Amino acid sequence: MALPKLQCITHALKNLSLLSHPDQRALVCVNQVRAMSRVKRRHTVPPFWLPKTTRTMYPEHMTPENEVFLKDVIEEKYSSPLKTECWERGTWAKNSMRCGLIGRKIGIYPMWTKDGTRLLTTLLQVSDNQVIKYIKPEDIVQGKRKRYRELGALVIGADHIDPRIVTKEYYSVFSEAGVMPKKKMSKFLITPNAKLSPGTPLYASHFQPGHYVDIAGITIDRGFQGVMKRWGFKGMPASHGVTKSHRRGGNIGSGGDKARVLLGTKMPGHMGRERRILRGLKVWRINTQHNVIWVHGPAVPGGVGSYVYIYDSVLPDHRHTQENHPPFPTCFQDEEEVEEELYDQELHTFREPSVQFVEK
Amino acid sequence: MANLSGRRQSPLYHVIYIEREREREREREREHRIILQEVQMKGPYHKKALTNTAVKQKRSQLFTQEAQRQAALITDIEKIEVQYDGQPENCTLIMNKGMSTPYNCAQHINQMMMERSVLAEVDGQVWDMHRPLEDNCTLRFLHFRQSDPYYANKAFWRSASVMLGAVLESSFKDNLYVELCSYPSPNVRSGSFVYDVDLKIPEWEPSKEELRTLSGEMVKLSLAAHRFERLEVDASVALKMFADNRFKTQQIPQMAAQSTSGNTVVVYRIGDFVEVSRGPMMAGTSHLGKVSIVAVHPIETNEAQLFRVQGVALPRGFLLNHFAYGVLEKRAQQMNSGRLPLNISSTEPQTQASTL
Repeated sequence: MALPKLQCITHALKNLSLLSHPDQRALVCVNQVRAMSRVKRRHTVPPFWLPKTTRTMYPEHMTPENEVFLKDVIEEKYSSPLKTECWERGTWAKNSMRCGLIGRKIGIYPMWTKDGTRLLTTLLQVSDNQVIKYIKPEDIVQGKRKRYRELGALVIGADHIDPRIVTKEYYSVFSEAGVMPKKKMSKFLITPNAKLSPGTPLYASHFQPGHYVDIAGITIDRGFQGVMKRWGFKGMPASHGVTKSHRRGGNIGSGGDKARVLLGTKMPGHMGRERRILRGLKVWRINTQHNVIWVHGPAVPGGVGSYVYIYDSVLPDHRHTQENHPPFPTCFQDEEEVEEELYDQELHTFREPSVQFVEK
Repeated sequence: MANLSGRRQSPLYHVIYIEREREREREREREHRIILQEVQMKGPYHKKALTNTAVKQKRSQLFTQEAQRQAALITDIEKIEVQYDGQPENCTLIMNKGMSTPYNCAQHINQMMMERSVLAEVDGQVWDMHRPLEDNCTLRFLHFRQSDPYYANKAFWRSASVMLGAVLESSFKDNLYVELCSYPSPNVRSGSFVYDVDLKIPEWEPSKEELRTLSGEMVKLSLAAHRFERLEVDASVALKMFADNRFKTQQIPQMAAQSTSGNTVVVYRIGDFVEVSRGPMMAGTSHLGKVSIVAVHPIETNEAQLFRVQGVALPRGFLLNHFAYGVLEKRAQQMNSGRLPLNISSTEPQTQASTL
């Protein structure tokens, strides 16, 4: 993305201004900013500041009794009977932003509306989501220009991991919150009134059927693909004298003064494994026991089993209002009773009698 | 003077010997003159300020002198038969009486035996690796990975306490004179090894960085790979060594009274730190692996405000993930249940020496 590179530049420029000696200036390395068409679309290597998650395993020759003891210690440590420390809960106001969830795409299912229309839905499971950290608006690094309003952030984690197999550095990220280390973490920008204390569990009931969500995910990795699949080229006929050019790109030049191949010319290359956001997906159904969300359509980015990041939709038609906003800042399922199955009004539930069609 | 068998004495031998004696006398006189001069300059009631470095040097020198004196007592090299049972094969070794140690036997057998052995078992009795063998005996080696490493475990815990004492004596600033008191007998179940020390400051709550520094010093001591040099000395020599430590001067006569001979104590030296102790120690400081000094608890006694410094360690080669080691460290932070050091001014009959 262009934004991180911009930050690097401003940082480097700062360094330059501080250094007085010309020799010192020469030592500073400045990152080049390239045009949008040359910007790297995906990163194959994680950023340098991210701590390694798992450590190299070595045989410890622990006795079975010690193994059992350690399991008990882990269980005791992360299942406290005490209520989690609760901060003051904010109330919904216009333009409030609350955090999202980290889910896993577990499959695709057809559902029917009450008038018999069949639609496909994607199932997303929200497992072991917990708030790890709250970052105040002052501590957020947003860039030099204050383009956005004062937003804080919540770091949410999903899916437990055994504390013994993570590195010490990664483990220390969670020790402050007192939560078990997580496999996946993500930052969600929020307005300060939506803040939650570290350790707060988040469930699928955070969303409600009838509301709309945006889902971000990494698309399926399709590997090196040709222009027909990658860019939707029509190709050329299979016969009628066509020589060796049935699926190729054909002409790449534009001729004339610009005597070169233009930047961004569509060609074969790596396709997929990119972050994409699909906006305005309706939530049709929620199961609170297994924390599963049914969202509209089969096109959620990523394959089955991949992680997705679910946000409240930012589309103007689907913004929340005072009358219909979801539980704010989240649904505290431990404190209030929630029904097991929540359906959208238009959805046909399987326990109801079947949809009847009248012959005309 | 000893007439070494089979060697022709040089005709100048007696002359050389007398010259050496004369030189030594002259040196002694010189030292005495310097001390007198100092006293005259600073006044008769001036006492030189004690520092840990000076005291350590003095003790180490006395140790070296005593070791040399004891080595010189052996004039004829007699041979003993040591029957070794163990890997790779049972064998009989011909070693020197009063000079060869189980470590020397291991050197004849195998590199793995040399490096891995923590203690020796001589005629069924637990024996230090660097303690000379006295007579024909059977020999076995003890290490940490046996099915029941009871004695090795105890020796490890005991040695860790002594190393902690060494670190405490050398880690503080020179203006603080640190006096080591004692440590309770090793109890692995208590969760930590311990040393009680008199820092002569009213209170000390060490920060995480300070504890980390102390742990680092322990690691340095381990990496230096010092041997635990053992010496059995007369109680008077030990008292001279520890004249500057008021706790040890109380403990040494008690320990001497309980020894087999009635007036000897055992001293150990690692590097330049000397400690008086009874039980067997591990072969060297390199057997200490992961170590953390985790807590310092203040102890109130009749006369002094002592501090109980606690730590936990694993032998070298024992790998453990950070979470499980964290559980050990957390346990070691609790106040150790080991016996508190005896009050100095107490007049009750003392049944057992506090330093074991």
